[in-house]
Parts: sequence; C-alpha cells; structure tokens
Amino acid sequence: MTSAPVEAPVEAPPELPLEEGEPDVGLSHVTDRPWIVIVWNDPVNLMSYVVFVLQKLFGYSREKATRLMLQVHREGKAAVSEGTREKAEGDVARLHGYGLWATLEHPA
Amino acid sequence: MSRRFVRKGDIVRVTLSEPERDLLRGLPDQLRSLYSSDDPDDAVTTRLFPRAYLDPTEDAAEREWEALVRPEILREKLEALELVVKALDAAVPGRRGRLLADLSEDDVAAFLGVLNDARLALGTTIGVTDDLDLSVLDPSDPESAAYAAYGWLTYLQGELIETLLGTMPG
Repeated sequence: MTSAPVEAPVEAPPELPLEEGEPDVGLSHVTDRPWIVIVWNDPVNLMSYVVFVLQKLFGYSREKATRLMLQVHREGKAAVSEGTREKAEGDVARLHGYGLWATLEHPA
Repeated sequence: MSRRFVRKGDIVRVTLSEPERDLLRGLPDQLRSLYSSDDPDDAVTTRLFPRAYLDPTEDAAEREWEALVRPEILREKLEALELVVKALDAAVPGRRGRLLADLSEDDVAAFLGVLNDARLALGTTIGVTDDLDLSVLDPSDPESAAYAAYGWLTYLQGELIETLLGTMPG
C-alpha cells in the first residue's frame, strides 16, 4: 500500500470495544472450521482506500478498519472476515470488485 | 476538506481543468480494452482479476468461482466506465476556465472504481513499489509521463476518498 497522500487515523484509543466491530465473524451454528478471507498488501492501493472499502463492505468501525489496514500494510496481510466457504467466496468477489487483492483459505 | 470534491447534499461536485478532464476522459476506453484482454497471464489482467484461491489444489473451486462471479464483476466495471463518461461529458464551465461535474452516489462509486483500476493497471505496468517517490521524477526517463499520470491519479483518488470518509460513520 502507499501512504501518500493519506492521513490515516493511526492514533486509535488503546482499548477498543468489540461490539459493532465484529459483526462479520463467524456463525454460531457453524461448527466446522471457518474459511478466512485474507487481504494482501500491494504497493498501489491507498491506505485510506483500504479503510474505506473495509468500512463500506463489512460495516466495520473506522478503528477496526484502520487496524486491519495497518496490519495489511505492516505484516503483508490480514484476515478481514471469515465464515462458510460460500460466504468467504462472496467476500473475496466483493473485495476484488473494489480492486483489493484478496484470497480465501481454510487454515489447518 | 478537499477542494477538488465538494459534497452538496446528495451529490459530489468535482472541479477539473480541461487537461485533467481530458486525461480522465481517456481512461474508460483504455480500461475497456484492458478488461477485454484474453491473455490470462498478463500481469495487468491478473491484478485486475486476481485468483480467489492461492491453493493450487483448489483449482476446480477456482474455476467454478470465476465462472460464477467474473461476469458480474466485469459487468459492474463496464457500467462504471459508462457512468464516468456520462458525468465527464456533462461537465459545465465554472470559474477561471475550470469544469464542474456533479456526481451522483453511483457516479462517485464509478469514479472511485475507475481511478483505482487505472492506478492498478498503470502501477502494475510501470512496476510501482512501496517506496515509490514521485517527487524525484526524471523527465528523460521513458516512463516519467506514466509516473506523472500515476501520481496525479493517486492525488485525485486520495482527495475523493478523503471526501467520502468525511461523511462516513466513524
């Protein structure tokens, strides 16, 4: 990702409430291991754009979207959602529609 | 607050110079031709339409997924090109020779997509890296015009995102 000309709100408060930040994770009745959706770092997408897309697609708070974006930027990738294979495939399609580089996998 | 993109109720007004409008107006045709590339190994095609599965043992699932979603993604991208063309062609003269285009919510989404795909394509072609420094362009570099265009598109997209994030819930 590229940072210019972006001002990412990196000074998130140290303790983040999880209530509306985690709406997209898991389904209680699914007992199988979930598939996870990974967003990969790339040198083109703007940091602010990644935050925008994560908020728009998943309804995440600015703080959660920023935290995930920074994880992508610093660690090269981040798991942004999870669920059944069908849900993960749909999330990947929507992320590709926005030009983010995303894949799904089934961790061992 | 971005001065490029100003929110006015339900619309976003963008202010452009004529050369800027012309540069943007050329993007849809270029992207349309890239979208229709039938070379699956082309780096730009791969970046615009990446795989969903990295795991090669999931190739069957990959093919099924591609058959299911690619046509829809492509249709949305082509629609976005049309919206951008319409919005740019409907631009009206503003002050000091500037052009003003009023963008509906759908137009804004289309602009964002077109700017991003243009940057992905250009960035892939010129091999943009994380530490790209656009402030040290060498005009004699055969790629310098592409870098300059990339830099301007990056600036413009950044301004649009700033405007959109400003009205999005925190």
